Amino acid sequence: MFYRIVRKEILENLLSLRFTLSLLLTISLFAAAAFVFVDDHREQLNDYWHRTNTNVAGFREQASQLHKVVFYEQHVYSRPKLLALCAEGFEQSLPRHFVFTGFAIDLPRLAGQSNFALPRFACLDWSFIISLIFSFIAFVFTYDSICGERERGTLRLILTGSVPRATVLLGKYAGLMLTLGIPLLLGLLVSLIIVSVSQVDAFHAGTWVRVLSLVALSFIYLSIFVLLGLFVSARASRPANCMAALLFLWVTLVILIPSLGRIAADRLSHGAPPTDLAKAMNQAAERVDNDTDKYGKGAGNRSPNPKECNPPARARYSNARTEAVNEVVESYHNRMLAQAFAGRALTRVSPAVVYRTASEALAGTGMQRCISLFRQVRQYQVQLRDYVVGEDRGDPDSLHLLFDEAHSVEEWNAISKKAVNFDAVPKFEERDFTLGESLRLAVWDLGLLVLFNLVFFAAAFASFLTYDVR
Amino acid sequence: MIWKIAAKEFLLNLMTFKFVVGTVLCVVLVVIFVPVLAEDYRQRLQQYDERVADIEAKLRQVKAYRVLTPTVYRRPQVLSVFSQGMEKRLGDSARIDFGVIPQIDARPAEVNPYLSIFPAFDVLLIFKIVMSALALLVAYDVVSREKEQGTLSLMLAHPIPRGHVLLGKLAAGSLTLAVPATIAFIAGLLLLSSSRSVVLTGADWVRILMMYIASLLFVLSMYNIGLLFSCLTRSSALALVLGLFFWVLAVAVVPDGSAYLARRLQPAETVEGRDEQIAALEKQFDKDLTAGFEALPGGGWEHDAGGPFDPYGPIGGAFSYYPMLCTPAGFTHWIQRGQMEAGLRMKYADKFRDAGRQYSDSQIRQATVARRIGMISPTCLYDGAMTALAGTDLADFESWAQAAATFRETVIAYIRNKTDNLSSVSCYTQSTEEERIAFEKASEEERRTLAKTVERHTVPLNLEDLPRFAYPTDAGRSLRRAGTDLMLLVVFNVLFFGLSFAAFQKYDVR
Repeated sequence: MFYRIVRKEILENLLSLRFTLSLLLTISLFAAAAFVFVDDHREQLNDYWHRTNTNVAGFREQASQLHKVVFYEQHVYSRPKLLALCAEGFEQSLPRHFVFTGFAIDLPRLAGQSNFALPRFACLDWSFIISLIFSFIAFVFTYDSICGERERGTLRLILTGSVPRATVLLGKYAGLMLTLGIPLLLGLLVSLIIVSVSQVDAFHAGTWVRVLSLVALSFIYLSIFVLLGLFVSARASRPANCMAALLFLWVTLVILIPSLGRIAADRLSHGAPPTDLAKAMNQAAERVDNDTDKYGKGAGNRSPNPKECNPPARARYSNARTEAVNEVVESYHNRMLAQAFAGRALTRVSPAVVYRTASEALAGTGMQRCISLFRQVRQYQVQLRDYVVGEDRGDPDSLHLLFDEAHSVEEWNAISKKAVNFDAVPKFEERDFTLGESLRLAVWDLGLLVLFNLVFFAAAFASFLTYDVR
Repeated sequence: MIWKIAAKEFLLNLMTFKFVVGTVLCVVLVVIFVPVLAEDYRQRLQQYDERVADIEAKLRQVKAYRVLTPTVYRRPQVLSVFSQGMEKRLGDSARIDFGVIPQIDARPAEVNPYLSIFPAFDVLLIFKIVMSALALLVAYDVVSREKEQGTLSLMLAHPIPRGHVLLGKLAAGSLTLAVPATIAFIAGLLLLSSSRSVVLTGADWVRILMMYIASLLFVLSMYNIGLLFSCLTRSSALALVLGLFFWVLAVAVVPDGSAYLARRLQPAETVEGRDEQIAALEKQFDKDLTAGFEALPGGGWEHDAGGPFDPYGPIGGAFSYYPMLCTPAGFTHWIQRGQMEAGLRMKYADKFRDAGRQYSDSQIRQATVARRIGMISPTCLYDGAMTALAGTDLADFESWAQAAATFRETVIAYIRNKTDNLSSVSCYTQSTEEERIAFEKASEEERRTLAKTVERHTVPLNLEDLPRFAYPTDAGRSLRRAGTDLMLLVVFNVLFFGLSFAAFQKYDVR
């Protein structure tokens, strides 16, 4: 009987106008998104490689003298990702340009501003289409699935047989999910075909696994709206009332609550202006400057002749000063991130926000990627310094002192001035999240989506069991 | 008869579940969020007041006209509570200097770039989403329901023209939708005006009235679209499905899609290109400045001007230093270099402006294309009209930048007038001729004493007659900018009602 109900639901839905409209709308959106993505991605990859090559060319020139390698100001950009097709994660408007030397790091900068004159718009990626359009379509399909049958009198006929109510509900749920799965899978397929035929970027095995997990995530997300639709349909007496309630629910859950993030971020945590950062950096440097003797006698003095001052003390002092300033930059950066996360945390009441966050985690994009990149740059700085120190050991003329004062290092021959093999110099390479890391990042959101499913399933089940079919 | 039909429809609508839910949701959201948005406005206004007070305090410390380089700020718009528009997204300050011409600033005013992941939230969002959904729900079954219930054929059995029936329904729909719109507006305004720091002027009330009219036109256009679907279909369910798909396209797909499409159709210049152009100009400027210094009689950069410097003046900036005391020859040198530098800065200011304008014009052209594509949706028209009326649209920022550029001309004319075209003593120093002669002849020790004496009698300039920057709210300007969108909303209404009328004339009531 279960399969009969499922088949009936699917056939009924497939023959309806809403299915045709949904199919047309979603497939055209997926296709448009894929075409635009291919163009954008190609352009972004060109820009990225141009910038990266310029940076590497400049870096290569420094290899003529070892000490210069560590003082070169590198410009590193986040690499355009193929999985931005699935969840772009607002990367275009996030800071993704990192400027650093072997010692100091600036706050990440915006790379290539988007048009300031255009209103803010969401990227037309899978997560946008699914979170916004498919959730809406789910409600359009479910609004009359129970109260509509009651109004037509068919629900009473079904229940006069020996079919348990739970079977009817599960049959309807499965039928609706399968119906929704058709435009979803077709749309995704169209999108993937367009992108893979264009050969704009290579799909690896890992990418396919992530795509599959995103598809599974999308089904979990859609299931919430189907269950919510069934719940409201089982509470309503008329389909028109049910649609009104569902429409306002959709507006609240998918549009209004996600838009509250900015207000929540501003109210929960106040961002500090950049002048505060400059002040804090000066104060941190001053604190070190005021206590120079802590690093050894004469640490505060500097002269072109190393014999006139105390180079090891100066090196300790200089590194402590840079580290103090770096800590201020890092904590300011963390505060900015914490403010954005606070805003996002509050909007997690909406399944759409939870789904988008989980999609970003699985696609390896968004704010988490910015955090990871900042961390990777900090690790790379250590790696670069270690390499320079290691290479420097072989030079008997060097003082073997590495610190953040380019002039002194050069004048004192504190680090070797011999040429190095550029191929052996560590270069910054962005490391993507492993699948395990992505899953760990998405686990709470996945849990929340499952919880939403359980709650709405229980609610729909309880409502349908007590539903008056007369 | 029209009014009888309207009264009957209106009463029926008031008693429906959808009307109650839509109205309650709209009013509750307005009541909850207007105080929050008003508080946000209060904080921005406080910050603006602090910045203006700070610059006024600094102006009171200016001791030489050479360093008279005030900064002007854009006052946050009180109606940004209704429509945030470009506020928080564009630069809201401009430095008034010989070397810079204020123009629309692409630099985001956003302190924390990570917050750009969140869309803007304002009363406009509540209206354009909730009210439009309500309008559609009220309209979709206006004709088809009566047909399903059989009351339409009964009604038309009487000698009532079909046009009257439809006009009655339109009147009822307008009245029904005016109820939540009016309640939400009144509640919002009561909360806004009771908020601290909010002062609404006459011009603001005119703009609010126009916003109310724009809101009514918008919901009415959505109603007319629902009415058309109702007249085109034989079942309410079909009308609802068609209406819902149209609504999601108009509200969610077209606004984002138009921006997306505009990027493809009208490529804009990149910020990197502009920055490169500006960097090249800066390099050329430095070269010309050095050449200018070298060409001065008696010296280049290192001329012995002597005396203590005020390195940055009270306001700051890279070239805001001036000598408090110098030798007579040094003073002549300062006048020459000041005039040369000012001329060069004025010349390069035009070049920098042109480079910036080329970039911003290309961005604005792209935005215009997006706006034109968006005009197919009443939501975009309503958005445009509300933003223009709130004074938070791009055009208002442009006109503010223009006002700042005019103010720059005024300040430059003021400085030239006060300093006899930058040749007067007051442009650089308040030291007397005797002090400068004594300074030239004095020993190192005596120079220090003299400098201290000059420092003591160097007092801030009296700048009471310096014109202050003002950018008053102008309701006329806002109305002119909103005019096109409002007109198009009217056209939308007429068009869709006309189509509904035509469809209803041929509607089979059996």
